[in-house]
Amino acid sequence: MEHILKNGIVYDPTNGINGEKKDVMFKDGKIVDNVSDDAKVLDVTDKVVMAAGVDVHCHIAGPKLLLGRLYRPEDERKGVKAKTGVTRAETGFSIPSCPATGYRFSRMGYGTVVEPAVPPLEAKHTHEEIMAIPNIDVPTLPLFGNNWFVIQFAKENNIEDLAAFVSAWLKITKGYGVKLVNPMGSEAWGWGMNVHGIDDPAPFWDTTSREVIRALAQANEMLKLPHSIHVHPNDLGHPGNFPTTVNTMDCMKDIQKNSEYRNQTMHLTHAQFHSYEGTSWRDVESGVKPVVDYINKHDHVTCDVGQVTLDETTTMTADGPMEYDLYALTGLKWANKDIELETASGLVPFIYSGRNPVHSLQWAIGLEIFLTVEDPWKVVLTTDSPNAGPFIRYPRIISWLMSNQRRMEMMDNKEVHSWSHRKSSLATLDREYDFQDVATVTRAAPAKIYGFEDRGHLGAGALADIAVYDLEPNNFDPSRDAAAVEKAFSNALYTIKDGEVLVKDGEIVKVVPSRHVWTNVQGFEEEEKRVLEQIMPMFNKYYTVRFENYVVHDQYTVPEFEYKVNASK
Amino acid sequence: MKQITLTPKKFSSIALEFDELSPDEIFDWSKEDFEKYEVPIGNSRFPLGNYFDIEVEGSAESPDEVKMIIDGDAGRIKYIGNGMSAGEIVVNGDADLHAGAEMTGGSITINGNAESYAGREMKGGELTIHGNVKEYCGTSYIGEWRGMSGGKITIHGNAGKQLADAMSGGEIFVKGNCDILAGIHMTKGFIQIDGDVTRWPGGQMKNGNILINGKLGRLLEGFVPDGVIADPEIDGIQFTGKYIKYIGDIGVDGKGTLWLNAEKNSDLV
Repeated sequence: MEHILKNGIVYDPTNGINGEKKDVMFKDGKIVDNVSDDAKVLDVTDKVVMAAGVDVHCHIAGPKLLLGRLYRPEDERKGVKAKTGVTRAETGFSIPSCPATGYRFSRMGYGTVVEPAVPPLEAKHTHEEIMAIPNIDVPTLPLFGNNWFVIQFAKENNIEDLAAFVSAWLKITKGYGVKLVNPMGSEAWGWGMNVHGIDDPAPFWDTTSREVIRALAQANEMLKLPHSIHVHPNDLGHPGNFPTTVNTMDCMKDIQKNSEYRNQTMHLTHAQFHSYEGTSWRDVESGVKPVVDYINKHDHVTCDVGQVTLDETTTMTADGPMEYDLYALTGLKWANKDIELETASGLVPFIYSGRNPVHSLQWAIGLEIFLTVEDPWKVVLTTDSPNAGPFIRYPRIISWLMSNQRRMEMMDNKEVHSWSHRKSSLATLDREYDFQDVATVTRAAPAKIYGFEDRGHLGAGALADIAVYDLEPNNFDPSRDAAAVEKAFSNALYTIKDGEVLVKDGEIVKVVPSRHVWTNVQGFEEEEKRVLEQIMPMFNKYYTVRFENYVVHDQYTVPEFEYKVNASK
Repeated sequence: MKQITLTPKKFSSIALEFDELSPDEIFDWSKEDFEKYEVPIGNSRFPLGNYFDIEVEGSAESPDEVKMIIDGDAGRIKYIGNGMSAGEIVVNGDADLHAGAEMTGGSITINGNAESYAGREMKGGELTIHGNVKEYCGTSYIGEWRGMSGGKITIHGNAGKQLADAMSGGEIFVKGNCDILAGIHMTKGFIQIDGDVTRWPGGQMKNGNILINGKLGRLLEGFVPDGVIADPEIDGIQFTGKYIKYIGDIGVDGKGTLWLNAEKNSDLV
């Protein structure tokens, strides 16, 4: 089937197209340069056309989500929408039901969403949940930062065996890349402790975060993985944590990149939570400057923001000790989970409010990062959903980025507390994103950071994942009408996935199963076998499941999307 | 004034849902509007007229001029007066789940028994139950930590388990007996129970007052005695007689107060 999207205003940063009126053609699920006269015409004259969105970091599937739904039935009361002829019923706001997750991303024009924290032990369950989420491709990042085998290899500085372990575990879990959450901190949580900074060794192992980060980064490059290591540094959400963040980025600047497509060797996730100055919540201030200065001056790091959206939401992370701190701070209900040899996790509801000084400052810090990172290819729009706010608020964040007027209005009429401008530089930043910047931070940059050569752009050969929004950039000033921007990006005129129209006029018209996207490393088979044999005694001694049941079998990843990678040694 | 009388004529074993029939919605409805209206039953809707004889007398300009009478058994009608802000509802029989849930004003009188979740997350108004009420009366929604915050519930019969879970305001009066964990997680508000209580009132309460005039079966360990007080004044109400005062639940650093009738609970003095 051939299609032609006619006369749209196209934003495709990867291919240097900035608001040109042109046609986008696709055939059999791929973008093409030419179609025959039989092609079906979709008229999108003067409307915004972009590649479908790519989300680098959104918790949408896995044990944390399940626990959240069990633990917060009250959240399921929000966002209730009746079934239609095409869709199932929707429930939930910060932790929506699986079908609602797919529909809502699809309505916003997204095509690929990364689930960024999968304990390998729970990978099977994560893939089961992905089977219930429609309409988006889902790569997953297994957690490696507190894994006992990883720590052992890092301690011995045995990079080759670590690479073989990672390669094997990506196959076992059907994972896409390497995630680290509070390296050594979540392990220390098993002893009721945390680590502070990258040189604070965890008990028993006497190994530091620096050693684990460096070892995994080297293994990641040895395997030539499409994505770099994806790091949630130590000290999340602690006033005065910015030196830890800078040290984390700096500790691996000498590690050589081994990828032609991406630029970075480390992705810093939810930078907002890691950019605080001060010593307590009383004297906390924005610590964005040193963090962003570092990112601006170095090319080995990219980041996503984790923008606070000022909603009632649910925090969930493999940073177990941080969740305990949050529980101690709020007194709200807290769930904690230990994942055997791999990680810990926690969950606490959280109410971000514009009346609260700290939350307002967090809101400002996120926007400060967006507006001060000079190169939009280095920063990605996220809310660490649902941690800083649910993903359905992305359009609202876009409206803030595009409108200085709206940001000033929020500060002037006290929609946010005065800490937002007294303790950050936000009020002095009048930069506004244009549509090209928005396309960069929501599609082009995320795809490049993840090494997706086939998404995030509209060049020939790319997947026909396209979004059209009901805005006419030539007759519309986004800085003067933030509400219209939010509405348009919330309800795509068209969302096209693999050449199929899934959303039309903001409504789901077709539901397709989501693909499980994973990385299959070639060329490490012998080493994998040897390492597996080597670690099996420890596996059998400490895990509560047998290895045969631990592996994610093929039937859990239907349909799948496999990226083959030839590792270099 | 407008008086709407619904007389049940056909019983449905699957519950009818009445949350759309609050005075806020129906104050300007005519008899024809009611007959036209289809009431949710399970996953479908059916004409209200199949289940009730409908009478409408008088007229109303606003919800507070409405009196709706369900003249018979409403034991399979859920969400009676759910979210109502004004007006009056009288049920001349039993009521099913969630009667008066989330109401912010007006009054509901149930002249029979009420099922669970009566007055759930109530913010204002008055709910009177002349029979017994089951579990979770005046509580939060499941999982929710913000419960009843205002209004008044009076139960002339007995109350079930976990009365007023997570209550943060308002008043509840139970004339009969009460089952376990009344006022659990409460942070503010007043509960008075005139009958006997099985055990554990005030578990994890942070603040507020619970007064028990009957015999308490068993006290939680998190409550510490604070003397015997004669004729206490609590939340502006003057009580006569001697009460044993407890502070708790210390397990959560609670500063709530539990008042036990000293005469009935002399074993604790």
